[in-house]
Amino acid sequence: MHTAMPPCQGACPIHTDVRGYVSAIARGDVETAIGIIRQVNPFPSVCGRICIRACESACRRAQIDEPVAIAALKRFAADQTKDLKPSYKRGPFFREKVAVIGGGPSGLTAAHDLTLLGYNVTVFEAHKELGGMLSRGIPEYRLPKSAVKADIDYILSMGIEVKTGMVLGRDFSIDELLKDYQAVFLALGSERSVFPKCKGIELPGIITAVEFLKQVSEGHRPYLGESVVIVGGGHTAIDAARTCIRLGSRDVTVIYRRTVKEMPAGKGEVEEAEHEGVKFKFLTAPVEFIGNGKVEKVLCVKMQSSHASGSKRQSFIPVKDSEFDINTDAVILAIGYNPKTDSIEEVEIISGKKGTIVVKDELGTTNIKGVFAGGDVVSGPQSVIHAIESGKKAADAIHRYLRNLPPKEIEEPVVLRPLDERIVSLIIKAVRQKMPMLPTEERIKSFKEVQLGYTWEQAILCAQRCLNCGAGAVVSEECAACFNCVLVCPYGIPTAGEEKAQIDISQCQACGICAAECPASAIDVRLETREVSRKKLKKAVEAAKKEELKDFSINFYCQYEQPTGPSEKKKGTYTVGKPCMARVSVYQLIQPFEEGSKAVEIRKCGHEKECRFKGCDEWIIKHVERAQKMLKDIGIDADSVKLVYEDKK
Amino acid sequence: MVIAEIKPFKEIKDSLKSYKKILIAGCGSCVTVCLSGGKKQVELLASALRTARKVEGDDVVVGEKVIPRQCEPKFVDMIRDEASRYDVILSMGCGAGVQGITERLNTIPVLPALDTRFIGAANEEGEFLEMCAACGECLLSLTGGICPVARCPKGLLNGPCGGTKFGKCEVSPDLPCAWVMIYDRMKALGRLDDLKKVIGAKDWSKSRRPGRYSAQKEKVEAPAKK
Repeated sequence: MHTAMPPCQGACPIHTDVRGYVSAIARGDVETAIGIIRQVNPFPSVCGRICIRACESACRRAQIDEPVAIAALKRFAADQTKDLKPSYKRGPFFREKVAVIGGGPSGLTAAHDLTLLGYNVTVFEAHKELGGMLSRGIPEYRLPKSAVKADIDYILSMGIEVKTGMVLGRDFSIDELLKDYQAVFLALGSERSVFPKCKGIELPGIITAVEFLKQVSEGHRPYLGESVVIVGGGHTAIDAARTCIRLGSRDVTVIYRRTVKEMPAGKGEVEEAEHEGVKFKFLTAPVEFIGNGKVEKVLCVKMQSSHASGSKRQSFIPVKDSEFDINTDAVILAIGYNPKTDSIEEVEIISGKKGTIVVKDELGTTNIKGVFAGGDVVSGPQSVIHAIESGKKAADAIHRYLRNLPPKEIEEPVVLRPLDERIVSLIIKAVRQKMPMLPTEERIKSFKEVQLGYTWEQAILCAQRCLNCGAGAVVSEECAACFNCVLVCPYGIPTAGEEKAQIDISQCQACGICAAECPASAIDVRLETREVSRKKLKKAVEAAKKEELKDFSINFYCQYEQPTGPSEKKKGTYTVGKPCMARVSVYQLIQPFEEGSKAVEIRKCGHEKECRFKGCDEWIIKHVERAQKMLKDIGIDADSVKLVYEDKK
Repeated sequence: MVIAEIKPFKEIKDSLKSYKKILIAGCGSCVTVCLSGGKKQVELLASALRTARKVEGDDVVVGEKVIPRQCEPKFVDMIRDEASRYDVILSMGCGAGVQGITERLNTIPVLPALDTRFIGAANEEGEFLEMCAACGECLLSLTGGICPVARCPKGLLNGPCGGTKFGKCEVSPDLPCAWVMIYDRMKALGRLDDLKKVIGAKDWSKSRRPGRYSAQKEKVEAPAKK
């Protein structure tokens, strides 16, 4: 059970250590945070902005109030460290060369991982610019070019060769590549629009969203007219609609054949679009595009849900005699995309129904030896995080293929179970920080990024909302079965096991009180282990000794209260931050005196406000009183250990 | 379980006055459980001693070691080498632990850091209560599983005495009368009639000290050769 993942990590397709980076941000340590993110994800700036956030849907904080704003925190870590010099360790160098075809998120992730593994990688990109749909398909107000560039620059800084303007089937073939490269990864993406089967589809004034957004991304500002109808319900449909608003169209309507519930784009995006003036017509499908030399009207039909017999999935069928017109100057089609794989049809790669490449297994093995495929070209259009996942799998599969290693065993992650209702009722609520947004009047006039990103204070407050799931107390073999932990836990989580105490890691809140009270030192808290905790104190004492001060004092502060430490630095005072003061044991309070400290202060958070953990006040006071008694016995003024109340700002 | 508590710090400090190298030995069983002599207490006492000596301007080396049971010679042997580098061992074990080390490491003085109190058990609040007087002849079958020898200040075998009041003992208003507890328990067991029988004189010779016992000797008797 100890290896169970927090639900956020389990839900993330690439199992990012969310808890790890969020807790680093909670301490104000963005460098550690970005390091943790980059261990698995080469696109932090991008994912911090446009990820589908499966992690947030799984976040257990939602049982109490709202999920932690995980993606926004990832963006914060990426933005705050964008000027940091890249640092990575490459593996031993291998002779083999790998060709990656397609410079989108899947291809670049594979290139990134393979380079770190020690291979020479060349990326072949058909367009002038790398990034795939990130650069061409997502408007700047949602994903600025600078954010995409930041991630790509980092990846390329590892020494990856890039050949742009190279189209597979026109400029080179897979056969030719296989002469120079020992493995090939096909990550061609999926950018060919699907057209609805409607009369009048050929009329001028009808454009695909892909083409429209591509033009905009290239700096063009096509004005389609006063009124525009967008057909579709995905992210792209909404991106196209909001882009039209920015280009001056006043009457922009999205028509979608299902309801908002079925929309891939999600409620939040719909609300933002509505805020900017986009209208939505749900349960509406186009039947015919009408116009004289140019589209002028969309003939629509109302839809209704129907449970077709034999099928569990809800389907939607037209309502009889419900046709109606919408007058429009232009139509944007955004109902889906298929891969464009005609160029490789003649080679032996088996193409699936809609132009996708059929792979033999989850690793992306194709029927040509040494050729792998992944990303949207295999799966059809998916989110960026799935493209990254696919790139990672391909890199690993290629490495194993080239090194003749056995295939990786894929294990389904074991995830911590939900919090019990009883525990939920003991956790103090804390509202999610609102993302600062560009004012609407400014938004609709420009392509400036709408979400402005958290401030330092917001990011830390938001990160502190993380419940540190699974980073709680672990009982070692040294447990003497005294069951003192059962007595002291404010949440009533430890229980008496057959031979030792048992602490349910899925419910533990990591307050650390049991660890401070365990007489056998058999309990450790993963959030801050005993070893780390001692190192911190040692570091503070050593810093003091180095200064050769006669008088110095050690100041323990609560990281939840003062995440980046006390604002004013007093000379001779050395600070040690802790996630909650209740975990500062009596030993830690008196040990600094052994090292020559003249005073120890422990700062308790503002008494006006409740502490993060239930009952921690009581333990802080107990520890201080015990330490004071001990000091008196030793022959030192008992007041040398002091509890200081810090009022909240 | 043996219950012990830490001696006053001054007493411990004074007893170690003439030593420069002290090894504090903790014990991983009973005294860890009653929060007196486990790893955490050893560490705390060691730090306090070093600091106290420093305050007095005196140098001292304090080592720390915890063994699973000080009353087991084989565990004591595990610290033999390390102990030889010290002037004195301060045992945070019970009286049996202190002597367990003394017997085994006869050239190094061993001093107690704890006062051994009694044989007891924890209640739900985490307090330890004396439960057994180690009298050598157990009467619990007659008293509903509650021991009057250990839990009645007078050790009355046929109680209660006139000092019982509202279920409490005259010795202290906090102390429940053992004989009231026995009465309630026997009532719950439907055995009140049994309390009418007088418990006869107890054979105190069985509690004669020093006690000695060997399970080996009593159980294993080699069959006579035919």
